[in-house]
Amino acid sequence: MGTLAEINKMAPASASTSREREAVNETTDMALFVRTSQEDIMGWDRKRIVDALLRETFIDRDTAENISCQVEEFIRSSNVKMVTGPLIRELVNAKLLELNLEDTRRMHTRLGAPLYDVDQLLVHPNKENANVPHGPEATNLTLAEWIKKEYALLHVFTPEVSDAHLKGDIHLHDLGFIDRPYCSGQSLEYIKKFGLNLPHSLAMAKPAKHPEVLLAHMVKFAAALQSHFAGAIGWDAVNLFFAPYLEGLSDREVKQIAQMLVFEFSQQAVARGGQAIFSDINLYWEVPKHFADVPAIGPEGKYTGKTYGEYEQAAQRFVWTIFDVYKEGDGAGRPFFFPKPLVHITEKFFQTPGHMEFLHHICDVASSMGNTYFVFDRGDTAKISECCRLSFKLEATDLEDAREPWRMRYCALQNVTINLPRIAYEANGDDTKFFTLLNDKMKLAVNAHCQKKAFIEKLLAYGENGPLALLMMDQDGSPYLRLPRATYLLGMVGLNEMVQYHTGEELHQSPAATRFGLKVIAHMKLLADKLSKQHNMRFVLEQTPAESTAYRFAKLDQRYYASAAPKVIKGNLAYGEIYYTNSTLFNVSHPMNPIERVRAEGLFHPLIEAGSLTHIWLGESNPDPKALADFVIKVFRWTQNDQITFSPEFTSCRDCGKTSRGLKEACPYCRSKNVDGITRITGYFTKVSSWNKGKLGELKDRYRSKIAES
Amino acid sequence: MLASTCSYKIKGFIETSFIDWPGRLTAVLFLPGCNFRCPYCHNADLVLGGHGLPTWHLSSILERLKQLRGWVDGVCISGGEPTLQSYLPEIFALLKNQGLKTKLDTNGSNPEMLEGLMDEGLVDYVAMDVKAPLNRFAYAQCTGVIPRLENIRKSIHILMKGNIPYQLRTTILPRLHSIEDILRLAEQLRGAMDYKLQNFNPGRTLDRSFQDESPYDYTTFCELQRRSQNIVSLSGLPLAVAGRGLEVRLQA
Repeated sequence: MGTLAEINKMAPASASTSREREAVNETTDMALFVRTSQEDIMGWDRKRIVDALLRETFIDRDTAENISCQVEEFIRSSNVKMVTGPLIRELVNAKLLELNLEDTRRMHTRLGAPLYDVDQLLVHPNKENANVPHGPEATNLTLAEWIKKEYALLHVFTPEVSDAHLKGDIHLHDLGFIDRPYCSGQSLEYIKKFGLNLPHSLAMAKPAKHPEVLLAHMVKFAAALQSHFAGAIGWDAVNLFFAPYLEGLSDREVKQIAQMLVFEFSQQAVARGGQAIFSDINLYWEVPKHFADVPAIGPEGKYTGKTYGEYEQAAQRFVWTIFDVYKEGDGAGRPFFFPKPLVHITEKFFQTPGHMEFLHHICDVASSMGNTYFVFDRGDTAKISECCRLSFKLEATDLEDAREPWRMRYCALQNVTINLPRIAYEANGDDTKFFTLLNDKMKLAVNAHCQKKAFIEKLLAYGENGPLALLMMDQDGSPYLRLPRATYLLGMVGLNEMVQYHTGEELHQSPAATRFGLKVIAHMKLLADKLSKQHNMRFVLEQTPAESTAYRFAKLDQRYYASAAPKVIKGNLAYGEIYYTNSTLFNVSHPMNPIERVRAEGLFHPLIEAGSLTHIWLGESNPDPKALADFVIKVFRWTQNDQITFSPEFTSCRDCGKTSRGLKEACPYCRSKNVDGITRITGYFTKVSSWNKGKLGELKDRYRSKIAES
Repeated sequence: MLASTCSYKIKGFIETSFIDWPGRLTAVLFLPGCNFRCPYCHNADLVLGGHGLPTWHLSSILERLKQLRGWVDGVCISGGEPTLQSYLPEIFALLKNQGLKTKLDTNGSNPEMLEGLMDEGLVDYVAMDVKAPLNRFAYAQCTGVIPRLENIRKSIHILMKGNIPYQLRTTILPRLHSIEDILRLAEQLRGAMDYKLQNFNPGRTLDRSFQDESPYDYTTFCELQRRSQNIVSLSGLPLAVAGRGLEVRLQA
C-alpha cells in the first residue's frame, strides 16, 4: 500500500487537519476557492497558512509569513480557480523542505491516503491478516490503520526505531493499533463478580443469574476488550468457572450452552473491521491445583459455599460437551475457526479419573477437525494461554491472585519481531559481528517497547474520561489493565535461514546447526533477562506467529540483500511466493517425522517464555485418535515441547455444501471447482483464498505427515 | 545377517503412521507385487512390482527404528500383497527379535502363510481387506481377477478362531458397492472382532477411469459405517431387521 512506501521515501505529505481551514484573504483580489476538509468551500486566506504553522510547529512568525507569501504567489501564478486544503499543505511542506526545515516539516506533515489506494482498498480484499473479512467495516479498519500506522511511525516512535521497522530490521506489530495494548487474558470471574459495568456504556448489568446470561456477558465483554486490544482475548479455565452455573442442568441444556459458546464466538463478525473476536478458551479436565481450594462464585456473583475443587464433575461434563460441539463442526460440517480450545495437560491431568477417555475424545476432535491445542504444563508450572502461541507462566504473585481469580488479568503490551536472517547477511560469517548485531537489534526492539509504553501511559493518564477508559475501570482496587505487570514480547523470524546462512546448514541438517540455533536463542533469552532488570520491564521471547512478517522480511531482504538473501529464502522466487521459516521452527518442507519435529523444535521451547508451538500438518490423513493420544502422552513425558497441534486440511464446496478432507482443486462429491480450501495459517484456521503470497508459498512446501493408503 | 537382509525387496518405508494400528504409533514397510488388480487401488506402482521405486535395506530400517524406540514400537508390513513374498516370515522374525510389535496387512489370499505367521507368534495384529460380498461375481468385479473365494473364507476363519486381535475392512465406492452389497457383506462377516469401512478417496488409481469416481458422501458413509458395524457385532439379528430403514434414510 502506497502509504508505507511514501513515508519510506519521506516524500512531502499533503495538507490540512480537521480543525483548520486554508482560505482566501479578503484583502487580496484572488478569485480562488479552497475545498477544506470540513466539507465546505471558502475563499482564499493566506493567514490560515501562518496560523497553522504557528499552531503546529515551533517556527518563527517571520518565516511563516514569508512561506505563506511564497505559496500564495505560486498559486496565483498557476491560475487555478480551486485548490484543496491538502494541496496547500503540500506546497507549504515543499517550501519547508527548500528551507531545510526538516523538523518543522515533520511536525506540519499530513497523514492520509492517495485516491488510487483508497479506490483499490474499497474493491479488493486485505491479505495482511486472513482473519479480516472484505466489507465496509473491514475497509474502515484498514483506512484507520493506515493513518494510525503513519502516526505511530512519525509520532510515537523515534526515527531510529521507525526506520528500522521500515527497512525491515525489526517489525513493530499492529502499528495500526498503536493506541491499544497487544493482547489480554482474563477469567470469567471478573464479570461473574462485578457484572457487566463498562465505563460510558448505556446500561449496567448486575452479575448474571443464569448461564445463558453469563455467556452473553462473556461475549459482550470479549467484544468490548477486542476493541481495546490488538490481538487475542484469552479466557482462563472456562469450563471450571462456568461450572457453578451448570449444576442441575440436563445434558441437553449443557449441550445448548456449549453450542452457544462456540457459535457465539465463531460467528460474531462484530469486532473491529467485521472480524470474529480472536478468542482462546483454556480448558482443563482436572481442577487446576491453584483453583482447587478457591471459593466458587455462582449466580448473582455470590459465593456458593463450595470450592472449585467440588465442581470437578460439572466442569468435566461441560468441557466434554464443548468438544462434542467441535466434533460436529459448523452447520456445513466445517471446523470452527474460533474460539481456539487449549487443553492443558498436566501431572494432575493424569491423576484425574476419566482422563484417558477425555484424551481420546479430544484426540478424536484433533484428528477429524484439528481444533484441539495440547498445552503441556510440566512440573509445577501453571500457564494461561492467549494469542497464537502466547502463554504466561504464572508466578508466585499470580498464584496469590488465584485466591481471588478476578484479579488474574494479563496483558502483553506490544510485540516486536527481529529479522534474524538479515543479521547473518550483515555479519557475513563473522561470529563477533553476528552477536554484536543481534545485541543491537534486541536493544532497538527494547527501545520500541519503551516508546510504546510511554505512549500508552500517556493515554491511560486520562483515566476514566480518556480514550482507554475501559482499561482504567477500577472495580477491585486496581485498574483493569495492570500495566506494571505487562509483558513485552520479543519475537523472531527465520532462525532457520539465519543459521543456514551463517553455518551453511539448516537447523535440521546437522546437530551442530541445531546447537548454533540454540546458542542464538539462549543468547537472546539472556539478553532479554538483563534488559528486563535494567528497564524494570518484563521482556520475554515469543515465537512470533508472523502471518505477514515472514513474507515482508523475505521481500525486503530480497530487495536490500539481493545477492545473499536468495540463497536461503524459502518458497517460489519466480512467483514471488517467498517466506522465511516462522520463529524457531524447522524447515516446513523437510520430510521430518512428527516425533523428530516435536523433539527438535521442543529443544527451543524452554527458552521461549511466552509460549511456543509445534505444528503437525496432517494434510488428508485421518489419524487414529488413540494413536494420537499415545503420541500426546509421549510428548508430555519425553520432550520439552510446550504445545502441539495437529492441522488437517479441508475442502469446502460452495456449490454442494459438502466438506471433504485435503486441499483439492475440485469437490470430490460434485466435481465443482467452486471450492474453499481451509487449514491453519499460523495459529488459527482460515480460508486459503485469503492468504498472502508468502504464506501460499509456505503452504505448498509444508510436509504432511505421511500415511499409508490402502 | 546384514548380507541376507539386503536381498529383501522393501519398496517403501514410512517412519511414523498414526493410522495403521489403533492406539499405536507404527512404522510401515511396503513389499511389492500383488495378485489382485483392484481398479480403485492407490498403490499402482507397488502392485505392478515397484520397479521404479527405490529399494530400502532392512538393516538401515532397523537402525532407524532403534532411534525411534519408545515412540514407535510397532511395525506394519503392507503392500502390494506381502504374503506373496516367501521371505515375509524372515522379516517378521527379525522385527520380533528387536522387540517390536508387528502387524500384517493382507488381502487374505494366502491363508497358509497367514496361519503360519500366527502359529509361530510372528504377528501381533492383522488387518485384512475384504473387497466385496463373498460371491465370485462381486469379488471379480472389485479385484479385477478371478478370485479363489475359498482362500478368502479360510483366512477370515483363521482370524476368527485365532487368538490375536484383527480387523476386517472394506474400501467402498458407489460404482462398485451398492448399499445392499455393503450390508450383505456385513451380514457375511457377522461375529468378526472389528470391522471398518473406508471411504474411497479419488486420486491416482490403478484403473485411470476410477480417478474421478465420486465417493459416498460423508453422512451416508458414516451411517453405512454405523450400520455395518452393528450388523457385524449384533450376531443374532437378521439382516432384514438390522438394515431396515437404512435405504430410505440414505436416499432421503
